[in-house]
Amino acid sequence: MNRNVSRIFAVLFGVLAVTLPFFAGDYPLQVARNIMMYMALAITWDMLLRSGQISFGIAGLFGIGAYSAILSVIRAGMPAWFSILFAAIFSGVIAFVIGFLILRLRGMYFSIVTLALGEIFRIIIHNLHDFTGGPEGVVIQKGVIFGGNANSLYWLVLAGLAVALAASFWFEKSKIHFALTAIRNNEISAQSSGIDIFRWLLLAFVVTSAIQGLLGGIFVQSYGFATPDAVFSADFTLLPLAMALLGGVYSTTGPIFGAVLLGLVSEWLKLKIPYGHLVVYGIIIVIVILFMPQGLRQLVRRTSHSADGRSA
Amino acid sequence: MIKLKTENLTKRFLGLVAVNKVSFSMEEGEILGIIGPNGAGKTTFINLISGIIMPTEGLIEYNGLDITYMPAHERARRGIARTYQLIHPLENLTLIENVMVGSIFAKGHSLKEARNKAEALCHELGLTGLDRDTSRLTILEVKKMEIARALANEPEVLFLDEVMAGLNADEMKELIAIVQRVALERHLAVGVIEHVMGVIRELTHRVIVLEAGELIAEGKYEEVSNNPRVIEAYLGRGGV
Repeated sequence: MNRNVSRIFAVLFGVLAVTLPFFAGDYPLQVARNIMMYMALAITWDMLLRSGQISFGIAGLFGIGAYSAILSVIRAGMPAWFSILFAAIFSGVIAFVIGFLILRLRGMYFSIVTLALGEIFRIIIHNLHDFTGGPEGVVIQKGVIFGGNANSLYWLVLAGLAVALAASFWFEKSKIHFALTAIRNNEISAQSSGIDIFRWLLLAFVVTSAIQGLLGGIFVQSYGFATPDAVFSADFTLLPLAMALLGGVYSTTGPIFGAVLLGLVSEWLKLKIPYGHLVVYGIIIVIVILFMPQGLRQLVRRTSHSADGRSA
Repeated sequence: MIKLKTENLTKRFLGLVAVNKVSFSMEEGEILGIIGPNGAGKTTFINLISGIIMPTEGLIEYNGLDITYMPAHERARRGIARTYQLIHPLENLTLIENVMVGSIFAKGHSLKEARNKAEALCHELGLTGLDRDTSRLTILEVKKMEIARALANEPEVLFLDEVMAGLNADEMKELIAIVQRVALERHLAVGVIEHVMGVIRELTHRVIVLEAGELIAEGKYEEVSNNPRVIEAYLGRGGV
């Protein structure tokens, strides 16, 4: 696609996203909020994937962020806005510590362990009844962020998405891009180019985990409550994953397209076949993996390539 | 001046002794051939020196510094570079981006600086079309890119692992001239693993011969190629 055309689209999209609350009703705004939340998670999942590491631990770090935010408000009286930052820092620190243990693992071992860690976090929260509220969860009684104003909450989620986008572009445009791509391709030859593999993986893991925690904090603050089953829901792992796969991995644009498309389709399906929309998710993942392993981006690229071919 | 040396370098994989008490040294500006039959331990030997695997016993010294157990990326930064027998171009990166990687991480250059250096390096090796995807390169171009990637580390010691494989005679000639030129201009110590003996004869100043992990001969190509033990290693007892 022409660079200027995509730039114009990006600007229009951005303006639309920022101004949406001024003309959209409550329902579309809620849908947009959901999509943006999952989009941001999909982007962070893809950012780590660029190093070749497939994480199933999104929900775990999202949940950690959610609980650290809500508990710091309820138990420590932290201001709501600051608790969101705290969620990011806390998740980042947790990722730093577990990163030392698990970033030596590769392939499915890494994936399974991230999945297990998420489950461990959920069980811990579940059982620390006095501190975390146990399975019933906790509710913010007073001092809900922005007084619960829907427009402000929308912009808060948008801000979370902006952080994920900025981080993703930073990953794409800096040395990190070279480090992660080299590691994904071949770790041995990456070392021979002077790449300290563990250091870069740790950086990617900590940054993406911190953003996942930040998003958890935003999520929990905008709803004012948390239960282990709600914030550690497998949806927070599976939907972002499906979106990134559908849109096309190893890029920022792929997860964006995937999230918009899958988000809208699933919203429509929820109305048509309640509770059946997740089945369609599964089918989409299967179809994408079988027929377009590089996602929709591949189709876009292919068509633009053949267009170039004709004009040449 | 000795750039690199090993003493009794040994690597055992369970029962197999892949490299057995090898002691050797390389001088600045020297092109050294490393030959031997298949499975002799040539690549394992280079893997030990570049730090891809760690030795069981022995010593590796580089510029007088003990690097026996130093991590591979650290060795790359200090100036030990290599190419691989099985080539792994970085997909999703263009030709020039592939060459930039060593400059960025081994030397710590900024992206812009690394691009300038990579451009100069590609130009030097006769690579053009620098924004091409690596899947569109010819074999010769891929080989040159591999050498450029290694040189981007700005090394003092360079190992080439079967870099001539798959090339025709003219292409080999071109690559031999390139290796000789870059080695001379940069005062590199170069270690060359090669099965094509014509290349070893043309390119190297000195040769070491490995067989079953042991260093069995050392010297000029002409001497070594007439050594009965070497002939036996290649052809078996009672051969010729």
